[in-house]
Amino acid sequence: MADLLRTFVTGSLDLLLRVFLIVVPIMVVLELFEGTKAFRAVVRAWARVVRHVGLNERSAAPTLIGFLFGLAYGGGVIVRDIRRHDLGRRQVFIMSTFLSMVHAIAEDSLVFIALGASVFWVVAYRIVWAALVTLALTAVATLVVRRRKA
Amino acid sequence: MESTGDDPASARPATASGPPFGAPSPSPAPGLGARLRRDLRIGVKAGLQTFWELARVMIPAYGLTLVLERLGVIEWLAHLARPLMSVLGLPGDAAVPLMVGYVLNIYAAVGSMQALHLSAQQITVLAIAILIGHNLLVEGAVLHKAGMNGFAFGALRVVAGLAAAAVANLLMGLF
Repeated sequence: MADLLRTFVTGSLDLLLRVFLIVVPIMVVLELFEGTKAFRAVVRAWARVVRHVGLNERSAAPTLIGFLFGLAYGGGVIVRDIRRHDLGRRQVFIMSTFLSMVHAIAEDSLVFIALGASVFWVVAYRIVWAALVTLALTAVATLVVRRRKA
Repeated sequence: MESTGDDPASARPATASGPPFGAPSPSPAPGLGARLRRDLRIGVKAGLQTFWELARVMIPAYGLTLVLERLGVIEWLAHLARPLMSVLGLPGDAAVPLMVGYVLNIYAAVGSMQALHLSAQQITVLAIAILIGHNLLVEGAVLHKAGMNGFAFGALRVVAGLAAAAVANLLMGLF
């Protein structure tokens, strides 16, 4: 029991430190560069890609952060942007579904590639799968919402 | 230091020389230094706020994860999932890293994968399932924070991850 508590304390501190060291710099960098032309160009380019799974330009930035750095960090930006802009439940649902299927594209994939997994399958195939699942679930959710309203 | 208030939108002076209310760009532009300081302050504040919100849900989820691990839930789940592994072309033992991944995280899963002797294709198939579904409690807590149902998304990641792995296994057999 004592060692479980010790694991919990050290593990929690480790988790907190990692989240802190990533979340705070991401938020600062976002704040500093969100208004710049270069950042907007990157987000617009990404928005043109994720438009195909039903995401709008406002959802592009949180999705990009999650895709690159991880679900927790993307989730953090989603929470921030829900607070700031009205993202809308539909957009949050699409983002959550997409990021559930694929996030931290470099870090997570590399762990398994180092073990011998195929780059094509763990990266390209997974992205395509994520897009298909997102489209399918959004269609189902749309039907459910429509039926509930009717 | 500046006493312009917390919200950048409300900090815009509504003077006659300024833009009409609701104009998109925040001008008259303050100096670059002042703007940097303001953005920095807002960024740090948003960072700390987000950090706190994530920590509040992630730490309890992490504690629950440890308790489940201690209670032997991972072994029990792995035992239940054993028969399913053949559908993915995997040995029954592969259920252990899969469940380790679901409950803990991908690093722990990779650690327990190394104890198995898997072919390249089996490593890839198992990797797909774990990459889609892992750390379900902690990441579910984050999704909950975003207003979604963490349990439903956990279930989705398990089902969709296994389906992705099964389809990949079939396709790899064809080529």
